[in-house]
Amino acid sequence: MTEYLSIFEYQFFRHAIAAAILTSILAAMVGTYIVSRKIVFIGGGITHASFGGIGMAYFFGLNPFAGAALFGILTAVGIEWVSQKGRVREDSAIAILWSLGMALGIIFVFMTPGYTPNLMGFLFGNILSVGRAELQLLIIFCILIILLFTVYYRPVLYTAFDPEFARIKGIPVARYRYLMSVVMALAIVISIRTVGIILVLSVFTIPQITAMLFTRNFARIIPLAALWGISGSVIGLMASYTLDIPSGAAIIFFLTLQYLTVRLIIGLRNIIRRKTF
Amino acid sequence: MSKPLVILDHLRTGYFSETVLSDVNLEIYPDDFIGIIGPNGGGKTTLIKAILGLLPLFAGSVSFPTGKPKTGYLPQATQIDKSFPITVKELVASGLPSKSKWFHHLSANQKEKINHMINDAGLSGVTSKPIGELSGGQLQKALLCRALIDKPNLLILDEPNTHVDKHFEKELYTWLKALNSEMAILLVSHDIGTISPLVKTIACVNGTLHYHPSNQLSEEILKVYNCPVDVIAHGPVPHRVLKVHDHD
Repeated sequence: MTEYLSIFEYQFFRHAIAAAILTSILAAMVGTYIVSRKIVFIGGGITHASFGGIGMAYFFGLNPFAGAALFGILTAVGIEWVSQKGRVREDSAIAILWSLGMALGIIFVFMTPGYTPNLMGFLFGNILSVGRAELQLLIIFCILIILLFTVYYRPVLYTAFDPEFARIKGIPVARYRYLMSVVMALAIVISIRTVGIILVLSVFTIPQITAMLFTRNFARIIPLAALWGISGSVIGLMASYTLDIPSGAAIIFFLTLQYLTVRLIIGLRNIIRRKTF
Repeated sequence: MSKPLVILDHLRTGYFSETVLSDVNLEIYPDDFIGIIGPNGGGKTTLIKAILGLLPLFAGSVSFPTGKPKTGYLPQATQIDKSFPITVKELVASGLPSKSKWFHHLSANQKEKINHMINDAGLSGVTSKPIGELSGGQLQKALLCRALIDKPNLLILDEPNTHVDKHFEKELYTWLKALNSEMAILLVSHDIGTISPLVKTIACVNGTLHYHPSNQLSEEILKVYNCPVDVIAHGPVPHRVLKVHDHD
């Protein structure tokens, strides 16, 4: 036991735990919006398109995070624009931006001379290398999103549920949809550091669907998803240390294991109840 | 005669660049109860959306001589995502405007109004339930509460009698009859046979609009405008039998 606890003496591990908790809180809010609106596929588009920005940033010697954020935001806003104008099918637009971003990323990384440091970290995440500056960024963004969801809870919920009715009630629907697109893009890009491009979407969906096994109330899904997210990612981190396996993959594995276990328990309970009555 | 709430003047509208309705003229007065009938794809919902300001106008105009009316809207059941995690209380609350521009929370007075409305509709047992757990009738009631909570003077209902049982349908018509003394009602239905006794006038929509200043289901409506009208109703549903036409 003391061996497990001794790991907390290292600053990098304390940072990693803090990053896991903050990412879980952030993903709980934004992910509940994504899952409720059934736009997980848009999340996939944003995530993969952001790789184009990372590649380009490497090539031009810029900050890869800034590149990813720019590509993520452009993709999210572009998809929202297409869906509002309706000239191209939304799913086709997502597929185009998804693969174009990946293609650009591969081309630019290939063209970048020499070794591209941290590239694997972007693809698969490297929570153990999260620094103080990144933690500060996560904290600031978390606070901003908590404020957004508290102050604008009603219009965010209503424009997600029934945009036409919200428009009739005088809510500026397009403005909220674009705002949420930018929020989704930034939240996803910030979380890429924790679990990587390939796995990031699961942090925005698995804790939410686990929470939805208990409640179907938007406001209650968020804290519950945060708790499931925190427990899955902290257990995943500990396992990654103990078993010496990649942290991002370990986190996703335990988030999924949690979901399946809860589902199984609820299923068994329902069977027992049916037999009793 | 009072001024009309809404005037549609040679309206042409549709989706993106495709015209669905053209040359539509209609005046809606404060005490109107208009039944809108027509074939599927004829433009009934398009007409409603144009009035609600949800669609672009390609030609003509929609005007409000007495100022933009407060509008209550009940969309078609298929437009509602029943799996969305929203409770009955939140659904009804979404019909109320925000008191403050910056802080979108409900006042104590508004919360009381919501509870009152939910109780009146007989939904007090399901207030905190997500809409996915409601029956078809309960969901329609909750959606009607959302439409009525802000005390509209124009109520627009798109096929409120689908996916509900006859008991709810009867209850709905009793409500609508009472509500008509306070607001104009536009009711879209493919089942005009059962709403005929309620509506005062009929608008037949099929690419354009033909207004009939009476609620009689004349042969004209049935044949000339080719509307699929279901005049068969089972159970204790209010109905009337129309006299035979004098001409052939």
